[in-house]
Amino acid sequence: MAEAIVVEDLCKEYRGRTGDRVMAVNKVSFSVHEGEIFGFIGPNGAGKTTTIKTLLGLLFPTSGKAMVMGKPAGDIEAKERISYLPESPYFYEHMTGAEVLDFYCRLFKMGGAARRKKVPELLDRVGLGKDGSRALRQYSKGMLQRVGIAQSLINDPDLLFFDEPTSGLDPIAHKDIQDLILSLRKQGKTVFLSSHQLSDVENVCNRVAIINRGELVKMGTMDELLHAGRTVITLAHLSADLLGKVQPLAEHVAEDGELTKIYTETEENVHKILDMTRGSANLVSVVPQRQTLEDLFVEIVREGRH
Amino acid sequence: MIIWAIARTTVGDALRKKILQVFLVVAIGLIVLSLSFSQTLSFSSQRGASSDFMLLKSFGLGMMALAGIFISLILGVTLIPQEFERRTIYTILAKPVKRYEFITGKFLGALMTLGIATGLMGATFIITIVLKAIGAQQAAASPTLGHVLGASAEKIALFDWNMVWAVILVYLQFMVLSSIVLLFSLIFTQTVNFFMGAAVYAVGFMSTVVISLGGAEGASSALRFFYKTVSYLLPRFDQFNIPNQLLHPETQVTNMGAYTGMMALYGLLYTLLALVVAILIFERKEV
Repeated sequence: MAEAIVVEDLCKEYRGRTGDRVMAVNKVSFSVHEGEIFGFIGPNGAGKTTTIKTLLGLLFPTSGKAMVMGKPAGDIEAKERISYLPESPYFYEHMTGAEVLDFYCRLFKMGGAARRKKVPELLDRVGLGKDGSRALRQYSKGMLQRVGIAQSLINDPDLLFFDEPTSGLDPIAHKDIQDLILSLRKQGKTVFLSSHQLSDVENVCNRVAIINRGELVKMGTMDELLHAGRTVITLAHLSADLLGKVQPLAEHVAEDGELTKIYTETEENVHKILDMTRGSANLVSVVPQRQTLEDLFVEIVREGRH
Repeated sequence: MIIWAIARTTVGDALRKKILQVFLVVAIGLIVLSLSFSQTLSFSSQRGASSDFMLLKSFGLGMMALAGIFISLILGVTLIPQEFERRTIYTILAKPVKRYEFITGKFLGALMTLGIATGLMGATFIITIVLKAIGAQQAAASPTLGHVLGASAEKIALFDWNMVWAVILVYLQFMVLSSIVLLFSLIFTQTVNFFMGAAVYAVGFMSTVVISLGGAEGASSALRFFYKTVSYLLPRFDQFNIPNQLLHPETQVTNMGAYTGMMALYGLLYTLLALVVAILIFERKEV
């Protein structure tokens, strides 16, 4: 399978004004296959945007390798085939939606006839067909985000970088962007998606990489990353003695007043715990549970803090 | 095409800056007002009409230069940093835009904006002078005012091409200054850049003094070397203001067209040098 992005031992170090050094990205390695939706998640300040900017050639790596569409990051030929939607995109406010898109079309050296055809097409595609002649200063945040999406589709890119594309959007705009990403997947496009909306990432991404404090912590498909067969047994009035006996069979135990939640992974342990507690504690519920990306994310970030 | 697209957008953006509009309107207003101001002079002074014309031209050129310097400084200082502040630079440089195309486009946009501003001020200036010349000629022909104004009023031409050259020279200094400020904007903060740009203009404007300090006998050799270096490095803005006879009463240029051509070459070379250095810095600048 061809790779749209290859990152090897990428390091990015910033120097503060006082001379102190901050390693924003530390020996990060991953690759993104062509045609996949790749989720790139992490808490604020984890190094997501730094990595994206490095891949776009806006920042220069301190060391390591960053290749995009087979070319070094920032290469002009590669930029012909990629696009970027930044978090909260900003444009020249005095321009209308149509003028902004016309401007970005010119950056791809599109001729007048091609631009006149492309701009209305793009406006229609993002639902701004009737608002193209309005100045951007009159646009809402959601409308500006739609303009951002439209500019990212001008060159029919093979690889799209989306940095927090749904940040601060209403549910309709949010759903539209989710649908757009799914339609891009159907068209065989590669999407590099950085988002805090973990449910979106879980729903649309083929693979996910989790970055924390500049380091890549985990990477894989959802099945590889998330526990499949976790079960939560909730008991009331469980004695301390019995809890001590049950604990070795549990992955994790959480107490909430009179209730005790026992998390266990194997079916065998579920039966053993139920047998041991029968008659000694009140069984409230037994819920088979699949770990969510959010659970994993929180777990990893909390571990990183200790 | 990319450079042109960026330049056009820069002009549209720059012309909407309120502070630039204010400077432009005030400068145009003052040039127009100078007409009535000089009208008063004509009848009160004993110098005669040609002397008043010299004053009127000097005042107009001075106004244009002053307003244009501020416009150049503000434009040059904000040209690139504002792209960072508004984050518009990210989507532009993520497109197949070479960094030199971005800088050149932005600078070309600034030059076009300065061209529009200078054109408006220059046109107002020239129209004002022509109106004044018409008024002076009519007054000279009148039996009641003719003896007051004297024979000099009759000698005043309606249109003097030297005014056009003078306006072009004023524009050329804006070009040089904005290229320096653009270069500084990649290194210094906006406030520091504004004052540095103003200082460069002030020193360049007084380059004759700096040169003479470099040759002063009493000064130490280190100090003379410093003054000489400064006089070689900084552009000689005083030379662009030669047509302003109030500033340079001793200097007479016989062929203004040739002089303007020579200064244009000097200005273009200096601008090109500043632009090349700016591009080299921007090539390695992280955005």
